[in-house]
Amino acid sequence: MKDADRALVVAVTTRAVFDAAAGDVYGMGVAFPLLQSLQKVNERLLEKNPAESLLFDVVLIATDSQQQSSRIISSTSHYGLEVGRFCFSSREDLVETLVVNNVQLFLSTDRDEALQVSQKGVLSALLGRQEAPSESLRVMLCGDAIVRPDCDPVPASRGAAQSFSARLGEMRGRFGVSGSPLSIVLVTSSGGSKSCGVALQTLRSRGLSVDEAYCLAGAPRGPILSLLRPHFLLGDGVIDLED
Amino acid sequence: MGRWRSPPTPTQKTQTSEYGRPNPKPENAVTIGVSARVLFNMETEQQIYERQGLEEYIKYQVEHETQPFTPGPAFSFVKALEAVNAQLRELYPESEELFDVVLMTNNHAYVGLRLINTINHHQLFIERFCMTGGNSPIGYLKAYHTNLYLSADPVKVREALEEGIAAATMFTPEKMAEVSESQLRVAFDGDAVLFSDESERIYKAHGLDKFFEHEKAHENKLLDHGPLKGFLEALGKLQKKFYGKGQRMECPIRTYLVTARSAASSGTRALKTLRSWGLEIDEALFMAGAPKGPMLEKIRPHIFFDDQMFHVEGAAEMGTVACHVPYGVAQGVTKREMNGRETSSAPK
Repeated sequence: MKDADRALVVAVTTRAVFDAAAGDVYGMGVAFPLLQSLQKVNERLLEKNPAESLLFDVVLIATDSQQQSSRIISSTSHYGLEVGRFCFSSREDLVETLVVNNVQLFLSTDRDEALQVSQKGVLSALLGRQEAPSESLRVMLCGDAIVRPDCDPVPASRGAAQSFSARLGEMRGRFGVSGSPLSIVLVTSSGGSKSCGVALQTLRSRGLSVDEAYCLAGAPRGPILSLLRPHFLLGDGVIDLED
Repeated sequence: MGRWRSPPTPTQKTQTSEYGRPNPKPENAVTIGVSARVLFNMETEQQIYERQGLEEYIKYQVEHETQPFTPGPAFSFVKALEAVNAQLRELYPESEELFDVVLMTNNHAYVGLRLINTINHHQLFIERFCMTGGNSPIGYLKAYHTNLYLSADPVKVREALEEGIAAATMFTPEKMAEVSESQLRVAFDGDAVLFSDESERIYKAHGLDKFFEHEKAHENKLLDHGPLKGFLEALGKLQKKFYGKGQRMECPIRTYLVTARSAASSGTRALKTLRSWGLEIDEALFMAGAPKGPMLEKIRPHIFFDDQMFHVEGAAEMGTVACHVPYGVAQGVTKREMNGRETSSAPK
């Protein structure tokens, strides 16, 4: 198990990772490319420093009683997925399970589930659809949230988002400008180039350097999102990736 | 006696720009994508990138973040677009039929702050940008309904043309001639720019005289369209908005055709084709094969498009911002072209 204090704990629902299928092994779900990308980041981090402690620690959470625990575990090992922990919980206990396991980011394909978690202060995001495996883990940040520090009420997961992005920045900093297995993409939807500049500066002051930046100034997000193919998008609350 | 009314309260429009006006929807605007290197002078930085690599380049950019770049060859063109916008807004305050300039660069966002600082320093109205961090910007050009893409990189320009987007490689003249700040002037070559390269093939194979003969013989046969026809069309649409308000003579947009065709023989086919497309051009200059540089020096366009490097270089030598449209039979894949650098050379 990874160093509890230093690892970046990411929880994913088993429903997102595995598709129901006949036989002993589940099919690959939406979250598969994400897990592979997280793994690749860990591999590259350990390549640079075998004693690296700032790694992704993946927790699989099953809230779906439809999926059998034994099949989840055997499927995980069948695909060679590196999972730190399995948590067999229920929908009602989900948030508590996340908190107890020190989860810093919760990923789901279920919007209601993600919202419920986010409202309790745990950083949560929806998984993006990946058509093909990508070369890097692509994390998208919504700049509008960064530039709007004083909205009322302050989103519950704001604090969690800020500390997550600081850790992510530290992780990104282990790699050079090109060839990184982790890409940080900033998108600002409204607001012009000045706003985006403020977002870039704010993120940098938190230790997070951005690789790609897109300032839409009101242009629709959909066409850009389908080009950017993020694995997930972080912003205030939970944001839909299909615009 | 009239009734006194209190002044109307200003309506709260959703503001998406610091300049107090929302940006037009991409499908309504004439969207011009410009790369960082043509908008600004980044020659020093480009050299660092080529000689010392990406990390050193980024380091240098970040170290000089508060130092704005000086204008590049596309700068005066962009300023002229903004001048036209100001006049369009006065006449049609609610309309979204405006120019929208988008910075399309495959620079990393590390360079972002310097670019944004420079945009602010020069008071450019560029509110949209894509910094793709090394990825091709071509997909984004389509997502933004880009009407014209200008870059210093001929590879990207070719990619854009292949995707059906009007595009040209922009070169920096050694000395830039002074251009109007209130009237946008755009000059186009005819064959393989506005028109297809079908006639250019005749010229290449058989020379200028045969070309003139052929064109005269076929003067009633319409030419096929070239990669920049759509952009001329977009300009024409905006021009008509000025005509609609009685501003034909002093229209803030003026277009020119500067072609090797001759008025006596091959010019007619070109003009007939334009007319059949419902397009107007303000001035047609038939050079009959003579160099275009001196004529362009008189016209002072903000931008000139040609498919032949000979003409692009000739124009640039005399201070015109000239762009190469790498389309059609005139293209040979020479090392000089692939470098995308302006060089002086003997005529082809």
